[in-house]
Amino acid sequence: QRVLLLVASDVDALCACKILQALFQCDHVQYTLVPVSGWQELETAFLEHKDQFKYFVLINCGANVDLLEILQPEEDTFFFICDSHRPINVVNVYNDTQIKLLVKQDDDLDVPAYDDIFRDEEDEEEDSENESDGSEPSEKRRRFEEDVIERTMKRRQRREWEARRREILFDYEQYEYHGTSSAMVMFDLAWIMSKDLNDMLWWAIVGLTDQWVQDKITQMKYVTDIGILQRHVSRHNHRNEDEDNSLSIDCMRIAFEYDLRLALYQHWSLYESLCNTSYTSASFKLWSVQGQKRLQEFLADMGLPLKQVKQKFNSMDMSLKENLREMIEESANKFGMKDLRVQTFSIHFGFKNKFSASDIVYATASLMENVEKEGPETTNFIKALDSLSRGNLDKLHQGLDLAKKQLRAIQQTVASCICTNLVISQGPFLYCSLIEGTPDVKLFSKPVSLCLLSKYLLKSFVCSTKNKRCKLLPLVMAAPMDVEQGTVIMVGIPPETESSDKKNFFGRAFEKAADSTNSRTLHNHFDMSIIELKTEDRSKFLDALISLLS
Amino acid sequence: RRGSFPRSEAKAGRSDLIFLIRFRHCCLLRDQRCLLAYLYDRLLRIRALRWEYGSVLPNTIQFHMSAEEVEWFNRYKKSLATYMRSVGGEEGLDLTQDIKPPKSLYIEVRCLRDYGEFEIDDGTTILLKKNSQHFLPRWKCEQLIRQGVLEHILS
Repeated sequence: QRVLLLVASDVDALCACKILQALFQCDHVQYTLVPVSGWQELETAFLEHKDQFKYFVLINCGANVDLLEILQPEEDTFFFICDSHRPINVVNVYNDTQIKLLVKQDDDLDVPAYDDIFRDEEDEEEDSENESDGSEPSEKRRRFEEDVIERTMKRRQRREWEARRREILFDYEQYEYHGTSSAMVMFDLAWIMSKDLNDMLWWAIVGLTDQWVQDKITQMKYVTDIGILQRHVSRHNHRNEDEDNSLSIDCMRIAFEYDLRLALYQHWSLYESLCNTSYTSASFKLWSVQGQKRLQEFLADMGLPLKQVKQKFNSMDMSLKENLREMIEESANKFGMKDLRVQTFSIHFGFKNKFSASDIVYATASLMENVEKEGPETTNFIKALDSLSRGNLDKLHQGLDLAKKQLRAIQQTVASCICTNLVISQGPFLYCSLIEGTPDVKLFSKPVSLCLLSKYLLKSFVCSTKNKRCKLLPLVMAAPMDVEQGTVIMVGIPPETESSDKKNFFGRAFEKAADSTNSRTLHNHFDMSIIELKTEDRSKFLDALISLLS
Repeated sequence: RRGSFPRSEAKAGRSDLIFLIRFRHCCLLRDQRCLLAYLYDRLLRIRALRWEYGSVLPNTIQFHMSAEEVEWFNRYKKSLATYMRSVGGEEGLDLTQDIKPPKSLYIEVRCLRDYGEFEIDDGTTILLKKNSQHFLPRWKCEQLIRQGVLEHILS
């Protein structure tokens, strides 16, 4: 029996897809892979393929909506959904025939109880029954009155139940967040089947790191999941410590690292990496002159000459690289950056090839959202998918170059937004809009890049503003999407706080604001907090949003 | 035989034209050789078509073949089929499958251009859109790989 894989366009989905492909190939399950970037493509793909397939696997899409309602499939069609989007739609949870959800056992779903939301249709009391009785009028009237009272009670109960149901569903669906990475769930599946390989483990690591880079999960969840993966890494990669049985250099190895949080620093220069990583750039406030000076002081504090720091990392003096991590951490603590190091993993194969998990995430994401090449979006998806295989190093390096450009563009845009005070407070949230003509604005017409920009902007803004209230506000960011069609892409991200639970209410808020103003919006993305709308409708939409959230 | 022609002219007394006639004769012979080489090359390509496309040629190709060439193709097809039936026991052996030794039973292929629906012998239809990837038994994909519609992905 053949299977159709529908895969969303994010790095976690790509990794989960690679693992699943490997498992299918092992078991000779015939499949067809179709990339989908939004609900429209999902529906189109389903309609095109529904006559040929009975089994559909959805990766990182489909859990948060009533899938059966949208797709209207036949009775004998089955959907397997592995999606990190939460909350999972209640219909999907309680459907026990056609929808199968792949979720980790200890993932807390918080689903409301069945009886609170579903209710079998009950037959209403029939009043005609009593009239066929040949009984006395007064008795009939008494029975009629009793019936009326009973029916009123039932109706009131039903109304109360419905009101409670609405409240429960509202609370359940109000906040959007993410559960365990789909790649990790797939790796778990492989492990249970005893078919897990080091390659699959690496993809699971990249999937988790993608969630961390995109700020989709809490710090605690990240650390917990790292712990889980670390056990697998030790299991697969312990042979290196044993001198007698060590593997050849060409074999792929994964190692746990307590590495610096600097983006792409091993493939760039240390200086560039410090300037273009949001954590350091925001902490130093590098958009200002004092910020630049602080950076110089930081480097001087560590005793790193500017010339060394500005050249390619691999060409830096060995003596400087030796204790680099500890040195940087010490100096960073003095400058107020306590979390400059992060637990992660890196991969080695051959003498030259060493990559950190976050490097791969940035490279793959850039390849996927590459705006430089014209052509169908699926080409980018395929290229990004290919780059995850170790045989395609040229694509990976291309991705790294694109990632560097993207990070630079993000930092420059952030700097200009902060310096020109483009981030304004609208009351319940902060708002920033990129105008057509800003350099690199085309890059930000893609959802993942725009989200990354928004998060970096919010981090930097929180460090730059003195207004205590503004520091706790969420951010709504808009960028032009398609100039010809006059559309704008808008994302909403939760506030930047130390102990943020990363829960995002903008999904529902956008929906309500769009409804109340009849704006022409398109909720095409699997993340509900990203929408597209017509440029003309933008101001009334924003006004509605402000009044909704005040 | 055309060889006698120049001698009769020469016998007629126009001996000064002999060289011109011989030259023209050589050119004619050369043209004949070229035409035969061209027709033979076409024949070889048509024979290769049977191995590349299978027993049914697409209309675009048949359009460019002359009636005699179509007949030759059909007879070649028949001859090949008879031979394949005679080899390999009861069912015969399809020699056009697995031209290169296969490394695996199932292969991963990627669609390079929008092809539409493709129906395989056993009835299954596959929708081939650009950039879709499929994991199928090798024998189902071979023909399309040879035509350049699908690309074999090595992981």
